[in-house]
Amino acid sequence: MPELQASGIFGAKVIEDIQSKAESGLYAIRGFGTLRERRWATFDDLTFLPCSLTRIPLEGYREKCSTKTVLGKRLAKKPIELDIPIMITGMSWGALSYNAKVALAKGAAAAGSSNTTGDGGMLRAERENSKTLIYEVLPSRYGINIHDMRMADAIELTIGQGAKPGTGGLLLGSKVSDRIAEQRDLPIGVDQRSAARHPDFLGPDDMIIKVEELREATDWQVPIFIKMGASRVYDDVKLAVKAGADVVVVDGMEGGTGASPAIFQEHTGIPTLAAVCEARAALQDIGVYGEVQLIIAGGIRDGVDAAKAMALGADACYIGTASLIALNCNKAIYEEDYRALGTAPHACHHCHTGRCPVGITTQDPELMKRLDIEAGAERVRNFLHVMTLELQMLARSCGKSDVHHLEPEDMAALTLEASAICNLPLVGTRKVFGR
Amino acid sequence: MADIDATGRSIREINQAVRCAIAEKAPGVTVKNPGARHNLAVAILGAGSIRIAGSVGYYCGGLGDGASIEIEGSAGWGLAESMLGGTVRVHGNAGSGAAAALRGGTVVIHGDAAARLGVSLKGGLVIVGGNCGYMAGFMAQKGTLIVCGDAGEAFADSMYATVCYVGGKADNLGTDAVVGVMEPGEVERLEETLCRYLPPALRKTKPRAASFKKVVSGRKLWNFDKREWKIWQEAL
Repeated sequence: MPELQASGIFGAKVIEDIQSKAESGLYAIRGFGTLRERRWATFDDLTFLPCSLTRIPLEGYREKCSTKTVLGKRLAKKPIELDIPIMITGMSWGALSYNAKVALAKGAAAAGSSNTTGDGGMLRAERENSKTLIYEVLPSRYGINIHDMRMADAIELTIGQGAKPGTGGLLLGSKVSDRIAEQRDLPIGVDQRSAARHPDFLGPDDMIIKVEELREATDWQVPIFIKMGASRVYDDVKLAVKAGADVVVVDGMEGGTGASPAIFQEHTGIPTLAAVCEARAALQDIGVYGEVQLIIAGGIRDGVDAAKAMALGADACYIGTASLIALNCNKAIYEEDYRALGTAPHACHHCHTGRCPVGITTQDPELMKRLDIEAGAERVRNFLHVMTLELQMLARSCGKSDVHHLEPEDMAALTLEASAICNLPLVGTRKVFGR
Repeated sequence: MADIDATGRSIREINQAVRCAIAEKAPGVTVKNPGARHNLAVAILGAGSIRIAGSVGYYCGGLGDGASIEIEGSAGWGLAESMLGGTVRVHGNAGSGAAAALRGGTVVIHGDAAARLGVSLKGGLVIVGGNCGYMAGFMAQKGTLIVCGDAGEAFADSMYATVCYVGGKADNLGTDAVVGVMEPGEVERLEETLCRYLPPALRKTKPRAASFKKVVSGRKLWNFDKREWKIWQEAL
């Protein structure tokens, strides 16, 4: 029997992909985020260097370590003040169910954090259940409403998203229900394609005027965030600051999505670790680090990732996918329904189908009932609470009485790549590679 | 009547003065010497009549709901963008992205409109007395778009349910745009709309409603799983 030898170039997944395209004539669309096996530097390639003899730690479980977070100090009259620096990112009502949106709002509010509207306008129940709500203004402008905008605590002008920078989102027809169609001014059941660029400005010079318009529309009260997918981060951050952002949000390639062409999730953008380093460098080089706040997003999983992002320069973090997992995304319940989708718990990325077995990424009333709002909100609150505790514990171990005092020198790199990207010494060498 | 002289005042001051006058129920507000400034009369909420005695820059009337704004000159980009209700009338021409993402109300442009007129239109009524530029009506979702003159290239590309009417040439339609058939009574309704919103002297110079072409979505790109090879190839 000769030894079976599969091609390293045309492996099983590649063969299946080619044959699927050949049979259907369609490119793959799916949700969730990148499924690639990790071959790039991530937060896992960094380790903290807690206090020993050179520094004194704070008592890990007792001493006060502030997590209070203020965003939008540059030009807004009313910066937002959060109890914790971990926030819920924009995910639309449409991509998510009503129950999921309301559970996220309630959970975030209970944890002293914020949530964000997403590409579909504001859901009234979302406003009512939020403590701090960020209103996204996206290229598609679905559901845009000046009255809703003026009820928000901050405005986020979104240029792009980490999972799919340079292109718009998708909401397949199975999720464009009568309520979603009405909210977005669309025919029921169409495969909705979101615009890639804003309809009324093109470049950063125009964006200066756009930001002024948004400030006028909100009486210069609330902060203006500018959010971008991570690609040419160093230059893009500078342009966002020039355009007048109070806060810059950089969303790395590990970020999630409700639906987009799979190739974007797998082959566009730069990793979150690299993005935060470039963003910090940009803010420092133009002298606004500390004046303009930085929020980092894209694959943040726990308080450790958040702590590392903050040590590298972020003022706060967004979570998206992790908050949905807290709501039971990919949990081993309703397993028959996972199988019906051709998937399984822990491997489901079928948000685009609208058949979410756990009621999160669906508009089906029966599926949605599987997500109890109160129970979901409690899980989100608990998760945000634990993330914050993890963040505080690491900060205390590094001798910090405020999580915002974490700094690059609290860490070392475990790999050459991480050393070069983060400008941190490689463990055991005291050398920064690439410097 | 309240007169506001824009000379030497910031946009913030001008808009605040306009809002105060409307809140105090002034019968009308006139902004003098607008100087083609950006963001004039942005987010004006509630009924009120505003006359701008000259040309304006970007986003005039944007994010508004309910006011009647008359611009006696021309307008820059993003005229009345994302407006929910009210009326914006421009005596001259309008720059790119006029009525972008409009959700309601009426925008009337006596002259020409540049590229991307009514892009992502979500509702309301847009009337252009002259011609429009490239890609007008791109990804328009709902509402009505009327162009009395010629339509530019890629007109009505990738639309959803917006209905367009063109009085002049419409030889270069966008992807998935098709010429529709007027339904009974539709020509009369179009004529009534044109007479209602265009000044009589201007209306007289434009084609009769019966000669307008109706342009709608061919609906062949509405869903990804429909394999209309030719139209997809044209789109890409």
